[in-house]
Amino acid sequence: MLALKKGALYFDALVAETELKEDQIRRALQWLSSKKFVELVTETGDRVTSLVEETPELELVRRIQEAGGALPLEEAKRTFASSDEFSAAIGNARALGWVQIRTDGTVTRFVLGNLGDLELHQNLLARSFGKSVDIKSLGEKERALADRYVERGVMKKERSRLVWVKPTQLWKSSASGKNASTRDSGEPQKLMEKLTPEILASRSWKGLRLRPLDVEAKAPRFFPGRRHPVRDFINEVRETYISMGFTELDGSSVHPAFWNFDALFIPQDHPGREMQDTFYLEGLEDKKLRRSGVVANVASTHEDGWRTGSRGWRYHWRIEEARRLVLRTHNTVLTVKALSESKEKEARVFAVSKVYRNENLDYKHLAEFYQMDGIIVGEGLNVRHLMGFLQEFYKKLGMKDVKLWPTYFPYTEPSFEVVGYSDITKSWIELSGSGVFRPEVTLPLGVRVPVLAWGPGIERLMLMRYGLDDMRALYGGDLSWLRNRVEFASSQN
Amino acid sequence: MVGADRKTILGRLPYAGLDIESVETDSVRVEYSPNRPDFGTDFGIARALRGLLGKEAGLPRYETTPSGIAVSVDANLSQVRPYIACATATGLRLDDEDVRQVISLQEDLHNGLGRKRRTVAIGLHDLDAISPPLAYRAVTSEFRFVPLGARSASTVGQVLSKTPEGKSYGNSLPLRGPFPVITDSKGMVLSFPPVINGAATKVTARTRNIFIDVTGTDKQAGDDALAVLTTTMAEAGAAIGTVSIGRGKSGRITPDLSPRDLPLDMDLVRSSLGLDLTKKQMAQALGRSRLEVKGSRVLGARYRVDLLHPVDVAEEVALGYGTDRIGPIYPPSKQPGRFHPFQQFLDSASTVMAGSGMIELMTFELADAGSLYEKFGRASTSKIAVRDPRSIEHSLLRDALLPTMMAALSGNVKSDYPQRVFEVGRVYARSGGGVSEAWHLGCLVAHSNSNFSEAKMYLESVCRTLTGAEVSAREAEHWAFAAGRSASVGLEGAPLGSVGEVRPEALEAFGLNVPVSGLELDLSALYKRLK
Repeated sequence: MLALKKGALYFDALVAETELKEDQIRRALQWLSSKKFVELVTETGDRVTSLVEETPELELVRRIQEAGGALPLEEAKRTFASSDEFSAAIGNARALGWVQIRTDGTVTRFVLGNLGDLELHQNLLARSFGKSVDIKSLGEKERALADRYVERGVMKKERSRLVWVKPTQLWKSSASGKNASTRDSGEPQKLMEKLTPEILASRSWKGLRLRPLDVEAKAPRFFPGRRHPVRDFINEVRETYISMGFTELDGSSVHPAFWNFDALFIPQDHPGREMQDTFYLEGLEDKKLRRSGVVANVASTHEDGWRTGSRGWRYHWRIEEARRLVLRTHNTVLTVKALSESKEKEARVFAVSKVYRNENLDYKHLAEFYQMDGIIVGEGLNVRHLMGFLQEFYKKLGMKDVKLWPTYFPYTEPSFEVVGYSDITKSWIELSGSGVFRPEVTLPLGVRVPVLAWGPGIERLMLMRYGLDDMRALYGGDLSWLRNRVEFASSQN
Repeated sequence: MVGADRKTILGRLPYAGLDIESVETDSVRVEYSPNRPDFGTDFGIARALRGLLGKEAGLPRYETTPSGIAVSVDANLSQVRPYIACATATGLRLDDEDVRQVISLQEDLHNGLGRKRRTVAIGLHDLDAISPPLAYRAVTSEFRFVPLGARSASTVGQVLSKTPEGKSYGNSLPLRGPFPVITDSKGMVLSFPPVINGAATKVTARTRNIFIDVTGTDKQAGDDALAVLTTTMAEAGAAIGTVSIGRGKSGRITPDLSPRDLPLDMDLVRSSLGLDLTKKQMAQALGRSRLEVKGSRVLGARYRVDLLHPVDVAEEVALGYGTDRIGPIYPPSKQPGRFHPFQQFLDSASTVMAGSGMIELMTFELADAGSLYEKFGRASTSKIAVRDPRSIEHSLLRDALLPTMMAALSGNVKSDYPQRVFEVGRVYARSGGGVSEAWHLGCLVAHSNSNFSEAKMYLESVCRTLTGAEVSAREAEHWAFAAGRSASVGLEGAPLGSVGEVRPEALEAFGLNVPVSGLELDLSALYKRLK
């Protein structure tokens, strides 16, 4: 407040004068203006900011000074980051007359010239580096120099709002504001601005009061760091699986078509394998894949049923088709691979990871989205266990009313679609495919016990939870949504 | 058609494997699975519902009578499109809606069983316009006929190269022929399969008698398609007539409507459903699914193309029994669950970054060449492309996180600065003949004073917090960062990532008006050092 003794000031000047933080001053001014001690007048004006602490020519002069007044050209060159910057330094410094070039014998040296306006340059940059300065607060010469710097791109100029702080009559009549802060209490008391380590050490706070602040004023807006809501949801699913005794899988996104399709008894001419639906990688294949072992079992199962008791799909199976690399179209590829690698008779595994489909994006279709697949392997498991598990799983994820309707997938039999009743849409919505792996899938892998499998998407559940109607919104990276979404909305659970 | 009220039918549809898409006042739209082409019309759905609702049980049987029509088969087609099967359907009284359904069933058969007409193609003709006997014969590309929808004759070659049907379906035929056509005794062309029918035998709403031809490369698929079509027409009130195909040893009578059969494996049914059913109960349930138990076998109508394995019988028992009557049992777990340690590591990286005040992004792994390469002015020699992407925006697999993150920032220029964002995501690189994958951490800091040392502070602190590692940096060029403000970081000589101030060219290309500094760290490599 003492800073205002001299009369009206710009807000910036006040900041410079008092060395207080901007928001502290803002709060103080809010209080003063509410008590009519000051008047705040807004006007627009130009401000400049230096983008550099030192121009190349100033750097060159400094180097020469440091070297005692003369510096060999080769040595000077090494101190600059690029030759562009170096030549800018020479050009500008010579034009300003600060530096001259002397050659004696084989050595070319820089020597200092007339440094008359050097300080003007240095002061301007020091005042405006990294902070914007009101152009009206500059002297005539500084203003002209600032204009030249703006042209060169050393400084930037912005039009902005300026706030004048003007002491009022009331201020002046109350002895230049001396008693402003104690006016309300009636009894004068010594005030301190803030507690400091020194004040605490000397215990000089005794008998002093902290200056009252306008505690009702808004604090500056701050955005805490946050994890992505999709990650939070994925972690909720992962924890649900873990609580039900599942082991998490990790695996790659790129696989030979064999694991994505063939191993799941999806015939090579199945419409779902076509490029309209699947991302094949251009010109890439798994050359190591051969028709032997598991691959041979699967191939024969497609052709004539092999030893599985099936009719098979009755066509000529081609290794070339199985070798093509694809981005996995479902995560069953991960569970099936795990199944073929571990020969355990009892297991529960899951993966929450991305799947990829060659889709045009719209409100309910994405080219990449998450699925949370799981399988349970075990002697004596059947459809009733599948139903029991899925009802429990979805109950934990907040879906109370869950039914299984028969449907079809090439790799499960029986197959069920899991549907849940949505209180929002007042209808049954599809949650997941599920079923018991067909013998045509398990036997070629050497698995002789029943395998219960399901592969739900997560985006639909997330849209319901966040009250969104467009899947693209989840991955659009809209900062205002990511920053401002409410962590615990009342609609949740 | 079903003999039941609306509410009963709507309640039962989902348990027949039919998804209700929408319900109108006097209609319901359902979605059926490709393994049940017999659900392609009302007639086929009603046939199944009559079973599930107990109005009819067991195998539906269809009478056939000889039509007296014979089709000769040209041996020159044996390498091109060897199989043909035909039938007649007479006495039809179809309204427009029925005709629409039959045509959509034909299309579904073409796309599913027929694999876009390559394996099976179906032609429907006005029987009264045909003069038997017929010939399935091989012709050259100079053969002329009037195709459906045209007024004048063209050659087979012209149909293949000029018409949309020729371009879509001609590719399953040999380039230089021979080409298959079906003609009658007067030389009139019924069909040029699998491309197009002839104009002379066109079916209209007034057609009462239909001749059906099915040609293809797989005998069984063709017979199946013809069975689905003829039994559907029989449900619609038609009488089915048989046709004699070929002569001598290879001669046969079509359509083949003999039932298919599978063993009744009662143990498999019981163990798969968890229900202790008697054979009688199974037979009853199967009857409701329109199948029939005969001794130790289960008979299914020819149109049931989905029956491949004895396990399929189990599902039919479940459907006939009613899946809503099968009580759920929760299978308790005997072991504790376990997170994958690497996934936990990635999750911890996210926790540290969010704790540093950053917002987490999740951008797409498939991106466009503009964001990945052009806006940074870097070469795209080792890019990984997907084939025929529907959208150019998702045509290349990213090899780094910073490009898609920069694109995200460029969509947020109106949001408050400072902006500090991070992403934990998957990236791809060519390796050997294939593709290697790694998880990276990317981070971008955008505000008017953003600089190298702020980014480096985050990089060092995340490595230190996650693994205790003190990484070292050395100056190195990077496509994302400005020269002199760009470093490569590593641990004991092994590279782990990069940090720097984003090049002004890239800032401009992404439309950003504030300086941005950032880092990209290979979390997979960092994790490996840890182990």
